[in-house]
Amino acid sequence: MSFSPPVLVTVSLGYLLLLFAVAWVSERPRVPSRWVRHPLVYVLSLGVFAGIWAVYGALGMADQFGFGYLAYYIGISGAFLLAPVLLSPVLRISRAYQLTSLADVFAFRYRSQVAGTLVTVISGAAILSLLSMQIKAVADAAALLAPDLSPSVAATLFSLALILFTALFGARDSDSGGTHQGLVAAIAFDSLVKVGALTLLGAVILLTVFGGLDDLSTWLATNDRGKMPFRQPLHDGSWRALMLMAFAGALVLPHMYHMIFSEQPTPRAMAKATWGMPLQLLLLALPVPVIYWGAQALGVTSPASLHVLGIPMALGSPSLTLLMYIAGLSAASALIIVSTLSLSGMLLHHTVLPLYPPRERSDIYSWLRWVRRSLIAVTILAALLFHEWIGKELSLGALGIIALSGVLQLLPGALGVIYWPEGNRQGLISGMAAGMVLWIVTLVVPFSTVPDLLTHLGMPAATLETAHIYAFVALTVNVSVFALTSMVSTTTPDEDSAAQACSMGALSRPQRRELLAGSSDEFRHQLAIPLGANVARREVDRALNALKLPPVEYRPYQLRRLRDQIEVNLSGMMGPSVAQDIVKHYLGFKPQAGRDPAQDIHYIEKALGDYQSQLTGLAGELDNLRRHYRQTLQNLPIAACSVGDDGEILMWNHAMQAVTGIEADDVVGARLSTLPDQWRQLLEDFVLGDEVHRYKHRLDLRGRPHWFNLHKSTLSGPEHPEGGNIVLVEDQTETRLLEDELIHSERLASVGRLAAGVAHEIGNPVTGISSLSQNLKLETDDPDILDTADQIQQQTRRISRILQSLMNFARSGNHAPANRYEAVSLRRCVDESVNLLSLSGKGRHLSYETDCPDDLLVLGDEQRLEQVFVNLLANARDASPDEGCIRISGKREAYSAIIEILDEGSGIPDDQLDHIFEPFYTTKGPNRGTGLGLSLVYSIVEEHYGHIQVDSPVADGRGTRVRLRLPAYEPESEPTDNTA
Amino acid sequence: MYIYRLVFLLVLAIYIFSPNILDWWIRPGSIWYSPFLAWAALIMLGFWLEWRRDPNEF
Repeated sequence: MSFSPPVLVTVSLGYLLLLFAVAWVSERPRVPSRWVRHPLVYVLSLGVFAGIWAVYGALGMADQFGFGYLAYYIGISGAFLLAPVLLSPVLRISRAYQLTSLADVFAFRYRSQVAGTLVTVISGAAILSLLSMQIKAVADAAALLAPDLSPSVAATLFSLALILFTALFGARDSDSGGTHQGLVAAIAFDSLVKVGALTLLGAVILLTVFGGLDDLSTWLATNDRGKMPFRQPLHDGSWRALMLMAFAGALVLPHMYHMIFSEQPTPRAMAKATWGMPLQLLLLALPVPVIYWGAQALGVTSPASLHVLGIPMALGSPSLTLLMYIAGLSAASALIIVSTLSLSGMLLHHTVLPLYPPRERSDIYSWLRWVRRSLIAVTILAALLFHEWIGKELSLGALGIIALSGVLQLLPGALGVIYWPEGNRQGLISGMAAGMVLWIVTLVVPFSTVPDLLTHLGMPAATLETAHIYAFVALTVNVSVFALTSMVSTTTPDEDSAAQACSMGALSRPQRRELLAGSSDEFRHQLAIPLGANVARREVDRALNALKLPPVEYRPYQLRRLRDQIEVNLSGMMGPSVAQDIVKHYLGFKPQAGRDPAQDIHYIEKALGDYQSQLTGLAGELDNLRRHYRQTLQNLPIAACSVGDDGEILMWNHAMQAVTGIEADDVVGARLSTLPDQWRQLLEDFVLGDEVHRYKHRLDLRGRPHWFNLHKSTLSGPEHPEGGNIVLVEDQTETRLLEDELIHSERLASVGRLAAGVAHEIGNPVTGISSLSQNLKLETDDPDILDTADQIQQQTRRISRILQSLMNFARSGNHAPANRYEAVSLRRCVDESVNLLSLSGKGRHLSYETDCPDDLLVLGDEQRLEQVFVNLLANARDASPDEGCIRISGKREAYSAIIEILDEGSGIPDDQLDHIFEPFYTTKGPNRGTGLGLSLVYSIVEEHYGHIQVDSPVADGRGTRVRLRLPAYEPESEPTDNTA
Repeated sequence: MYIYRLVFLLVLAIYIFSPNILDWWIRPGSIWYSPFLAWAALIMLGFWLEWRRDPNEF
């Protein structure tokens, strides 16, 4: 059975068109993103690892090594089962720093462009062999199916179709560093075809050739020849070498790195891949022995690696034959597309851009896209050339060994990224170089051009059986040189910091340095020099959006984040080395004077916050303690802030927010100089000054004076090499106002005491004047003089009354001691007071209504309590209109005696209500009040442990109610005679 | 880091003895798909570990 070339070419192009369609449809907005980003699609897309091995290579290997072919699958399954400690750390780094290939990771971690370029060279050389393997498999398969079709033509057509596909779907988003949804979907589809076709073929063989599992077992028991390869013991060296290479493949094969990390899987997808990928490989591996035995049973004569085509041909099934051909085509195309895409990125970042740095161009994105497309074409064409020149003469196994042993040289450096922070660039480069030279001399050259090179040197010839020895030798030399050189050479601080950032469980500890650019606008200006104004603006805006920052940013902390984000974004676009160069050169730091820059505490805190759920055991406990102390500081009832030596605000607690009215989010990470004027002056002056305490500093905020006490503690000495200050701000405004009030009261008290003295001194002459006027009345009968004498006496009585009030007030402290108080009937006090006031009713026909129970008693000084009622009732009387009524009511409430005096007067205005108990404060007209009455009432009520409350107006804007609450007295009941 | 060292030692041990383990699986008398059964068991273990893992582990 054979096919005509046009049919085969049509089928091939038809399948590739189908692949185009899958990719195109997946990128339509109508297809939900969650479908394309589903873990199943991700896991299937990882099937790219197997490539042509799954369809053809495994059978060739099984023919030679029996179950040894499993090493390739089990090795990478191990890598996925160990994903939490092997792949997840790399995923974290690649996502955080936008590292799109292993060369990017090396250039970033080892801070070396040379390392990146070396990785690119090794990967490129290895990938040529791997691509050649795919092309050869497709060309051989095509030649088997269509003997008239030249393998070279098939290979060329296949390569051109792939250039078109990869350039279209793989190099579209180079400007955004984004993922390629369509590409991922197409690769997943490829894997589905591959798994489906192999499973179908296995099932067909099992059911049609053997008639079921039991019959297969019977056949195996009777046919030793078929079982032979699967019965022989494993070849230990080859097995281990292949397993190690496959294990390393997860990290170091460019297409695997691209699929596992660069397409930005969700953590859930990555978790599912830990078992999903081994399961997929199991499904690929399971049919292999069955197919092999099927070929034995059918007597298929094709080379073992092409049994998948030979069997359906022997069975006479063109459709199954074409399906298996398509499976091979899909496996090869998937691997070529992803490898080329990944390699083109590496070439762009590590060979093109370092040689031709991006200068100001009208559209740098488009330029990058076209360079990348050209690199894709160059890579596939180079692979085609390699295939035509060397590859087509080699076996699939030899091509595979050359590729895998080449990328194996990247494993020490890759593991060093995660697990060995001490490794440095000198070690890495010399180790890789040594490994690469050995790889070329012992494997590449002997397999490809000079087969007997090693035998000339007195060593075993390089064959599939001995290749593992040379692979291990190269790897061992690589590891040893890497380790030794790293140990004896010095590591730069820059590299050290990158090593920490990449290390497992390590936090990057960025330094707090001041940038030359002071705002995001200056970033745009600076970046416009290398990138052009448009790209610079777009990149800065993209970074600002990613960090959710305002369009104009000036805070140093946020500017440092912005700088990092821009570097990350540029790294995704141009590789870490070029990105670092641009950022270092155009967004540089100010030169540091003297000591090391301080750590960026705010950043570390934030990062620790993000890591919280991952901290367990001792680290978790320490983190809890840290949170506790942080919360303590934040909730401290005293305003506190901490300021770095460079004036950057590191902490701003809740009380500080309340006192200043400035939110922590607005100032933490900013400098003191960005605070509002008053606070800036005060804090800058205080932090920079020598004084450690400042008391009662007046600050006018929002038009009102405030007073603050400031205290400062300087962080210095060996325990605090970073320096800085802690500033406490005490709000003293309330205390200051109370002090003012106290001083005022003190002054009033002195005035009172002075008045009492004066009253006493004036009393005597006034008594003299009164006596003399009395005498004068006895001396004359002249009515005018008598009238004058009467008036003199009236006035002197008035003076005496005023003086008496003054002296009473001043004497208010000299009352009977509380332990000499007697039970006083409030009803009697009220009646007495009403009687006294009725004597001077002034003909206004006021009425007093008293409703007070006789047994309402308090313990107190009766005279003074009477004084209280006289003063209160006199005020009520003075305020009442003619014929008004003053109501006095008394009642008992629990343990208190309540007396209320309600008048119908004009009431007391609100603004005066607060002052009525102040001495010398009066609302009455001149000569009508001294302003001491209510003040006296207040002091007497206080003496009696009572409380006075004034409500005014009571109703309709009129009337005042004075409510007195005094502790009620309850006479003890008479003891009863129990003996009676 | 001690957990990673333990994992590393375990992986190294499995790696070194893997040919012997596989030889044991394919010893004469055992059914031809016994290595795949062991592999499937390993996948089940991976599935179980993933199923009970803390969502924040990665």
